[in-house]
Amino acid sequence: MSYTFYPGCSLDGTAKDFHRSTLAVAAKLGLELPEIEDWICCGSTAAHSSDPLLADALPAQNLRAAGGRTVAVACASCYSRLKMANHHIAGDPSVRAEVARVVGEDYDGLTPVRHLLEILGQDMQREVAAAIRRPLAGLRVACYYGCLLSRPPEVTQFDDAENPTLMDKLLETAGATPVDWPHKTECCGASFSISDSSIVLELSERILSMAQAAQVDCIVTACPLCQLNLDMRQEDVEVKYGRRYDLPVFYFTQLLGLAMGCSASELSLGSLVVEPKVLLESKGLSMAGARA
Amino acid sequence: MNPVTLEIQEIGGSLACEIKTLSGASPMSCYQCTKCSSGCPVAGRGDLKPHELVRLVHMNQRHAVLTSRFIWECTSCHTCVTRCPQKVDIAAMNDTLRALSLSEGLAAADIAAPVFNEVFLRSVRKRGRVHELGLMAAFKLRTRRFLEDLDKAPMMLKKGKLPLRGARVGGRSEREKLFRRAAHGGEP
Repeated sequence: MSYTFYPGCSLDGTAKDFHRSTLAVAAKLGLELPEIEDWICCGSTAAHSSDPLLADALPAQNLRAAGGRTVAVACASCYSRLKMANHHIAGDPSVRAEVARVVGEDYDGLTPVRHLLEILGQDMQREVAAAIRRPLAGLRVACYYGCLLSRPPEVTQFDDAENPTLMDKLLETAGATPVDWPHKTECCGASFSISDSSIVLELSERILSMAQAAQVDCIVTACPLCQLNLDMRQEDVEVKYGRRYDLPVFYFTQLLGLAMGCSASELSLGSLVVEPKVLLESKGLSMAGARA
Repeated sequence: MNPVTLEIQEIGGSLACEIKTLSGASPMSCYQCTKCSSGCPVAGRGDLKPHELVRLVHMNQRHAVLTSRFIWECTSCHTCVTRCPQKVDIAAMNDTLRALSLSEGLAAADIAAPVFNEVFLRSVRKRGRVHELGLMAAFKLRTRRFLEDLDKAPMMLKKGKLPLRGARVGGRSEREKLFRRAAHGGEP
């Protein structure tokens, strides 16, 4: 199977581990992910907060470059922006004309966009099940989807907006035990991580505390911003609110990869800030060869 | 509870109309059920809750709306519009209100989001992609927040999460034109 891949900027930096583990899992599944040539940033929050036309034009340029092939996206923020641009452009001829004037070429808004969770959990369900070598037995996980995958539902059409289960089912296939918990789609504070971290600490505290109350071993994410906020800022939350969590925060591709027999190094497990070593070894999963 | 006292400047829909034209959101459809405020992750922080912001729009309280901190603390999580029985798109409305607040010079000086957005988009314009380390450095220089998160950069460098050199995509002059045309509503 082959999809045109739009990695997005985070996957070359703070989410390098998401990138590596995605490619490792793809290799196990025979999934090819050639990148859109010369892809550029989708504009993310900065564009839609400043200039609605730019916020549609940047994704349009990328989606046009995909030449009508289905685009695979890993980052939830990119996914949301690409889907939003499609929604605006395909739904309103005047927006389509405006965007065409900005980009310099017409784009119809019809290039399909799929998140990796949809590809692995819907398009390749059988291949994923067949690739599991080391089931993650006894690992209790809280699947955390964040905001941007499932909202607004008219735009993303991703799973169920209030109670998505795609990631839960994938982790279950991998032998883990996903728990039912109420903060699957709460907001972590997203890009306020840099511009006003007090928002991120307040919002992430609720998510971490709820995951802890659900008695999980770890949190699983599908978004670079969610992962960074819950992992890198976990200690800041502990200090500010006087709590102790010690909850590793994985990308779902890292746990799937472990279950498929990928090495810790292929999955960049050494990049995680909250060390997962003790947890994984207690479940009989080796961290040997982990590197950043 | 004390009743909120408003000094009514003008009742009417000019701000609501402007919002509708610029964002497509329909604030006038709101019947104040407060479902948005129940789900809003930042409703407890700001000076306003989302349903109160919409009510101020109903009352055409332009100054109160454009000076509010709430429009800047909104995380664009879209919980409000997802749950709204009237589909009032408060997230889209806030994008428009932020732009209006900036262009009219009404955003409080300590709100850093506009600086973040500016350095972010400059990176995209120049390189085609965002280089996170460069973005953080530029943001700190502009906001003079040198002491915040001092421990983070070395830790992230060690974890391989902050490459020193960022990627660059060709076609810079074309990209410059794209940004200019976007700023001028599609005109060159």
